[in-house]
Amino acid sequence: MSRQVFMSRLREGLRGLPQKAIDDIAADYEAHFAEGEAAGRSEADVAAALGDPGRLARELRAEADLKRWEEQRNPSAAANAVFAVLGLGALDVLILLPILLSVAGTLFGFAIAAVACFGVGGFLFAAGPFIGQGHEIAAVMLAGLGVMAGATSIGAVTTLVTIAFVNGLVWYGRLHMRLLKPALEPQGGLS
Amino acid sequence: MTEAVQVQLKKGVLELCVLALLARGDAYAYEIASRLTKGIEMGEGTIYPLMRRMQSDGLVDTYLVESSSGPPRKYYKLTATGQSSFAAQKAEWTAFSQAVNDILGGAQ
Repeated sequence: MSRQVFMSRLREGLRGLPQKAIDDIAADYEAHFAEGEAAGRSEADVAAALGDPGRLARELRAEADLKRWEEQRNPSAAANAVFAVLGLGALDVLILLPILLSVAGTLFGFAIAAVACFGVGGFLFAAGPFIGQGHEIAAVMLAGLGVMAGATSIGAVTTLVTIAFVNGLVWYGRLHMRLLKPALEPQGGLS
Repeated sequence: MTEAVQVQLKKGVLELCVLALLARGDAYAYEIASRLTKGIEMGEGTIYPLMRRMQSDGLVDTYLVESSSGPPRKYYKLTATGQSSFAAQKAEWTAFSQAVNDILGGAQ
């Protein structure tokens, strides 16, 4: 593989990362080729020793995605982290997918239930004055408030469990990540 | 089986080896890769993901040095965190390998 092919495959695989990160990473590998050339090695030799550019790009992206999840806990960062770990092939997707889907489905169900309860509570609270008389108004409104509070706490617990779940997955992925595997499979040394 | 054990062993010590190399002096990635491949049988490609991870973990820092041949070189140096992490990991490794050696020796 020539230097040009290697670099374009690497850039291809890194697409989606911030442009600056892509340029930084590309500069690292360009420098490696330059050093190799200065040491009298052929482009094909250096490229072979570096390994599969697509695989390297996946690892670099996974690292960036996991880092982002650690820095900002939002749904898109969580989704990226989960897909990055899966993309590495660190987890056996066929075994894990049913478990993942059922846990994610359960969490999603709780989230929907929380939103729905909140809506019902809000409706009770707002409609209280119209559907009741005398003491009933206060009772219905209080019940509405109670349901809303309950929904909020279900929502909060669901969020916490979701964060813990993604963290666990990331931890497991890191532990089993074959991040350094290509580095450990000799592909023609330097000398 | 032997292969799997080797992969696990190397994976665990690669970061420690990089820390040790940098503790002896600042170096650029190509240099680190070539020194590692001399001692440990490994390819050189993922030195960059490893260095990036160590940098984002705050273990190493980089600076540019003008090179006589070609573009400036990116040198890596240990941070204070990197130094204390190296000391801790080295102590752990020494104690662990000593214990394993004792058991291996005793089994003969």
